[in-house]
Amino acid sequence: MPPTISKNKCNGCTLCAQICPLDVFGPAAPGQVPEVRYPDECWHCRACVIDCPKGAIDLKYPLPLMMLHQVVRGK
Amino acid sequence: MIKTNKNIQECDVLVIGGGIGGLMAAIAAADAGARVIVAEKSDTRRSGSGTTGNDHFNCYIPGVNADSLEECLKEFRQSLVGKGSYDVSIQKLFLERTFEVVQDWHSWGINMKPHGEWEFNGHAFPGRKRVFLKYDGRNQKPVLTAEAKKRGVVIENKTPIRDYLTDANGQIIGAVGVSIKNTEPELKIFKTKCIISCTGNASRLYPSITPSQMFNTAHCPCCCGNGRAAAYRAGASLINLELPNTHAGPRYFERCGKATWIGVLSDPEGKPVGPFVTKPNKELGDVTADVWHGVFNDRFKDGTGPVYMNCTETSPEDMEYMIWGLNCEGDTSLLDAMDKQGIDLSRHMVEFGQYNPMLIGRGIEIDEKGATKVPGLYSAGDETGNFRSDIAGAAVMGRIAGEAAAAEAAARPAIDDQLETHEVVKELQELCSQLMEREAGDSWKDFNYAIQQLMNDYAGISIPRSENLLRTGLKYLIDLENAALGAVGCKDSHELMRALDAFDLALMGRLIFLTAMERKESRGLHRRSDFTFTNPLMDDMMLMIYQLNGEPVTDWRKSW
Repeated sequence: MPPTISKNKCNGCTLCAQICPLDVFGPAAPGQVPEVRYPDECWHCRACVIDCPKGAIDLKYPLPLMMLHQVVRGK
Repeated sequence: MIKTNKNIQECDVLVIGGGIGGLMAAIAAADAGARVIVAEKSDTRRSGSGTTGNDHFNCYIPGVNADSLEECLKEFRQSLVGKGSYDVSIQKLFLERTFEVVQDWHSWGINMKPHGEWEFNGHAFPGRKRVFLKYDGRNQKPVLTAEAKKRGVVIENKTPIRDYLTDANGQIIGAVGVSIKNTEPELKIFKTKCIISCTGNASRLYPSITPSQMFNTAHCPCCCGNGRAAAYRAGASLINLELPNTHAGPRYFERCGKATWIGVLSDPEGKPVGPFVTKPNKELGDVTADVWHGVFNDRFKDGTGPVYMNCTETSPEDMEYMIWGLNCEGDTSLLDAMDKQGIDLSRHMVEFGQYNPMLIGRGIEIDEKGATKVPGLYSAGDETGNFRSDIAGAAVMGRIAGEAAAAEAAARPAIDDQLETHEVVKELQELCSQLMEREAGDSWKDFNYAIQQLMNDYAGISIPRSENLLRTGLKYLIDLENAALGAVGCKDSHELMRALDAFDLALMGRLIFLTAMERKESRGLHRRSDFTFTNPLMDDMMLMIYQLNGEPVTDWRKSW
């Protein structure tokens, strides 16, 4: 899943679009909320989440990437 | 026709790729007085496989983790990055210079002793020396970017490079790529005396473990062999391509950092599957998967799996240390995903698995200075083929290549060739124009998936390779490339970048088929159904492939 940007929190600095290693945003216009043009290409590295100065970005993880887990059998 | 940017930037040393290796090469070359440009596909502040961090730096600190270089070398050569078909001469030179790089990184603001002293743990055997320094690499990319800029290095972000340009004597004179700064692409040409190729791993050649998620890869999926392809086309030799290399981690969330976990690889009942640890151990981790790559699939197939990372007996202090380590390693997405899925590592085991091959430590052949057989062309980092040591390898060999390239550039006269009319530039112009002007073309993604299915089925690791399968797969791949040349269409600069990625991946695929046919034995994950044995006479023999008169030629040599 691509990053989701909270429109209320985003200040349009475009840092996320600049630093994304996969260029999932493409070019972004300063002052505007970046568009996610190439959502399938997200690596889920969270660089955008970490660097966003406004804490405006969240990542959802696609179902196929589920972290398979269980308790120790018999415990 | 695609536009060409009229501003041809000139420098002494052009670094392709601003990851760990590229930035360290740029810093070293600038320190040696060279005018340096870094052409980076993404943005050097966050790019490549070290994007958001790393936490293990393979190094030798005299008197701390070993008493002699030989002692450290022995451990290094049995570790996941040092064992295999690599040149010891380069490994020694690398180890000798690791501590100076560690000290520089620490002084620049990357915390190499986050708990106040040099701390070695993880990727380790019981009762043996430890060679992986634990560090906090979260800020490594912004710090190295700032250090490069301080030295006057010019960074051109969003500028993936396609080809390295040579003159009539085969000497490097420039490079050409496609700027993706705007949605409309334009060709970008650089004039330079030397190139240091540092484009990282090659992901996306084999399928992700999740069929619908091509970009779910352990290493950065942006790195896909562009430097190897450009170097090969310019005349460099590639080496070790036929020996598949795989990584392991959470089964369906492909990520590096398995040695950062403090747990025991266990079966469903919590029993250890390997011989090295029975209780979680912070100093050692569980080195089982470094030694026994197939542990996950082997136990899956024989009915005693799956295999889990079991941290349920990890002490609260070690659990805290592990979570901190996963942050340093850049694995915050794993932590975030586990949090969102309600996973409690003190109760839940997480299933691990083996991923499909990628080309780390398979690629460009270098000498002790990082030089290739093309005059003026150097390489460092994950894309070199006869040396590998991941982060530390990129950092140290980047520095060594940067120093050597700066010295070579200083001794070379200015370049007066006209690059706009260079044959390779014209060919790229034509290819890009065709791809951009084709309406309703096939998507680059279908081309990339098609390459992956051929690589997986005809040169993969699940079905043994054979002369028949390899020869057939090569034929199909060439058919696919020819079909793609006449079918793929791109809407914007980003798609054009990805289409060019796919053509580079196809070239890597072709070279894998050719070299895998040539290695007539089974070795590691290169399993041949028609040559099922490992030939001891080939133990230290390395296979190279390069172009001669436009045709691929394979050649063998002993390791140095």
